[in-house]
Amino acid sequence: MFYIHCPYCNERRSEEEFHAKGQAHLMRPANPEEASDREWGDYLFFRDNPRGLHQEMWVHAAGCRKFFNILRNTVSYEILETYPMGEQSSVLAEMTAGRERGEPRRAAGAVA
Amino acid sequence: MERYSVFGLIKHALSYHENWQKTWRSPTPKKEYDVVIIGGGGHGLATAYYLASRYGVTNVAVIEKGWLGGGNTARNTTIVRSNYLWDESAALYEHSMKLWEGLSQDLNYNVMFSQRGVLNLGHTLGDMRDIQRRVNANRLNGIDGEVLDAQQVKEIVPIMDCSSNTRYPVLGASWQPRAGVARHDAVAWGYARGADRLGVDLIQQTEVTGLNIKKGKIVGVHTSKGDIGAKKVGCVVAGNSGVVAGMAGFKLPIESHPLQALVSEPLKPILDTVVMSNHVHGYISQTDKGDLVIGAGIDAYNGYGQRGSYPTVEHTLQAIVELFPIFSRVRMNRQWGGIVDTTPDACPILSATPVEGLFFNCGWGTGGFKATPGSGDVFAWTLANGRAHPLAEPFSIDRFYTGSLIDEHGAAGVAH
Amino acid sequence: MSKVEVFQQQPSGAVAAESPFHFSRQRNPLAPAKGEAGVIMAERPFLTHLILRGTPEVLLGGVRNVTGLTLPQTPCSMNSKEDKSLQWLAPDEWLLILPPGSEFSTEKALRGELGDGSYAIVNVSGGQTVLELSGPNAREVLMKSTSCDLHPRTFPEGRGVSTVFAKTGAIIRRPDAQRWELVIRRSFADYLYRWLLSAGAEYGITTQER
Ligand SMILES: Cc1cc2nc3c(=O)[nH]c(=O)nc-3n(C[C@H](O)[C@H](O)[C@H](O)COP(=O)(O)OP(=O)(O)OC[C@H]3O[C@@H](n4cnc5c(N)ncnc54)[C@H](O)[C@@H]3O)c2cc1C
Ligand SMILES: [Zn+2]
Repeated sequence: MFYIHCPYCNERRSEEEFHAKGQAHLMRPANPEEASDREWGDYLFFRDNPRGLHQEMWVHAAGCRKFFNILRNTVSYEILETYPMGEQSSVLAEMTAGRERGEPRRAAGAVA
Repeated sequence: MERYSVFGLIKHALSYHENWQKTWRSPTPKKEYDVVIIGGGGHGLATAYYLASRYGVTNVAVIEKGWLGGGNTARNTTIVRSNYLWDESAALYEHSMKLWEGLSQDLNYNVMFSQRGVLNLGHTLGDMRDIQRRVNANRLNGIDGEVLDAQQVKEIVPIMDCSSNTRYPVLGASWQPRAGVARHDAVAWGYARGADRLGVDLIQQTEVTGLNIKKGKIVGVHTSKGDIGAKKVGCVVAGNSGVVAGMAGFKLPIESHPLQALVSEPLKPILDTVVMSNHVHGYISQTDKGDLVIGAGIDAYNGYGQRGSYPTVEHTLQAIVELFPIFSRVRMNRQWGGIVDTTPDACPILSATPVEGLFFNCGWGTGGFKATPGSGDVFAWTLANGRAHPLAEPFSIDRFYTGSLIDEHGAAGVAH
Repeated sequence: MSKVEVFQQQPSGAVAAESPFHFSRQRNPLAPAKGEAGVIMAERPFLTHLILRGTPEVLLGGVRNVTGLTLPQTPCSMNSKEDKSLQWLAPDEWLLILPPGSEFSTEKALRGELGDGSYAIVNVSGGQTVLELSGPNAREVLMKSTSCDLHPRTFPEGRGVSTVFAKTGAIIRRPDAQRWELVIRRSFADYLYRWLLSAGAEYGITTQER
């Protein structure tokens, strides 16, 4: 059972108010007319399916009805971050920066 | 390997059943096999069995990270039917149904296949039109099916509320008399025993951790217990397919979702068929032991935790109680989840891959138990011949690029 | 002045309006609760419901001039004055509820103030209605119906949320310490009426029509 922080309502609400809407940050091919069948197929049907951290789109369907992004662990189900549309995950950015500084990899759970 | 029979049962009774042979060996892996199958669920074991029994390939290993049949095979609600809409899928599931009909004899193992019939309920005029269309398509494909009205449904299942007083009144159903249920564990064990007898090595507690690919061709697998060579590899790992595809460096059009089921305390026999409803989303049958087996929907989000979310169970139980008010006081004993590999068109993937000699059998999602024998046979042929079996051809990964999807969301609408 | 045409959607003359509960009340008339009623249910029918969409910058001044209400910018809050209320629904969406019959004049006045800016005003009065619950057990009945936390600590006066309710959705609001309000869809009215009757039965439920 998730208790999800909606970045627009700015509070946590129960899972039942939300719908999961699949992988986040997908980019439609810039020139659809010129996209090959392969590019279209990849865009339409092929999704990340990681065992671990996953960026997803959810909608606060029964609440403010806004879409937003979630960074979630698909094994522990921990939600590390929720952030508005159009933004990027700050937790992932911090992880990458940490790795670049040569810091040891932190367990996903230690971040939130 | 001893055959099972009534006489054997009597003989063993005399020695207090203390001298039964182990059903299969626990071999140490060889250096190399002609075919390595990753995943010892029903589909993987059936593939191994048919490779050895029908296609003469016996130098085969099945590598399973846990125990045999402990994945979705152990977790499913065991509905078997073949009333799918499109020619391609109907052919595949009906091929399977025919194998089910002789399976216990073929394996010399009672898989408890019980053709008690399956009802797919319709609650709206739209549902009923879909049912008409599907049953007509089934009959053209030689698959048994009938369209029933609410009265006829009531005659088959007297305890169901078929009145017009419910939120979604039952208007009718499709009825496949040859459909039914089978005992999930027995299916895995029967295939395992049959494969073992023909020389297949069943290697449990061994996880495939990587694929050994040389110049675009598979040459073996890395496992938690060392490397094993292979001329061909068949990957049959259901919800874990995306992870193994990742080891080979490509993506699959698959997302893994939790799907849950639950069973009640045992009751006296009260429901002698299988009832499914896409519309209110629930399905139910009763085991020989007496438990009600109830299946819920998938969680809408990706997940690998083998559990499901509470609102989903609640929703399903509301639907079941609305259909069967008589069950409103029944207590549930256990609840669990499996990880199902869903595809965009609700159809499986039986396919070659960008890596030569590496084949995938996956994407069965919420409904692959019924296909276990057919999938095993077709995939075994594919591995033995190095190209897709004619029944498997439409199910290649390429369909997601050519656009020839086989949309079975209607027939597979309720997760089962 | 805006270029958008606004027309009077209320029929003139003697067309009888019926509340969404009309049918439910006839079919399931509510017997007076025995003894002290734990829950009192009262509809506030035919109110003016307008949905305002736009950014606060565009809407704030004009809305204040026309209604006397400040656009609430804290999520899940509402501002009310006498028989008017203005509720935050989303960062770019508000629900304005006013006395019956003021749709046309209010929309005209708002468009006059807001001019040709980027905003939308939609009259949804016919699509939804307000149901008021009061009495010592009102909160218990609501708690049975939603997963939203209704404890006074998290649900103080002046809060309003859109959430799940029974097998559908509703807006739950708390205009003051005594009353809860539900804003519900017309097409779900009968279902929710019967749901509330059965949820409230154990406390004694009665209606009070104004
Ligand atoms: C709750 C539920 C109800 C269902 N109900 C029905 C139903 O009523 N009817 C129906 O037809 N279908 C149903 N299904 C679907 C059905 O269970 C599956 O489609 C089918 O059992 C898949 O079989 P499989 O052998 O491919 O997969 P599994 O049985 O999951 O086997 C895959 C095996 O691969 C192993 N594995 C994974 N990764 C590795 C690795 N790296 N190395 C080694 N081994 C690995 C796993 O441990 C597992 O044992 C249901 C599923 C669930 C979860
Ligand atoms: Zn929200």
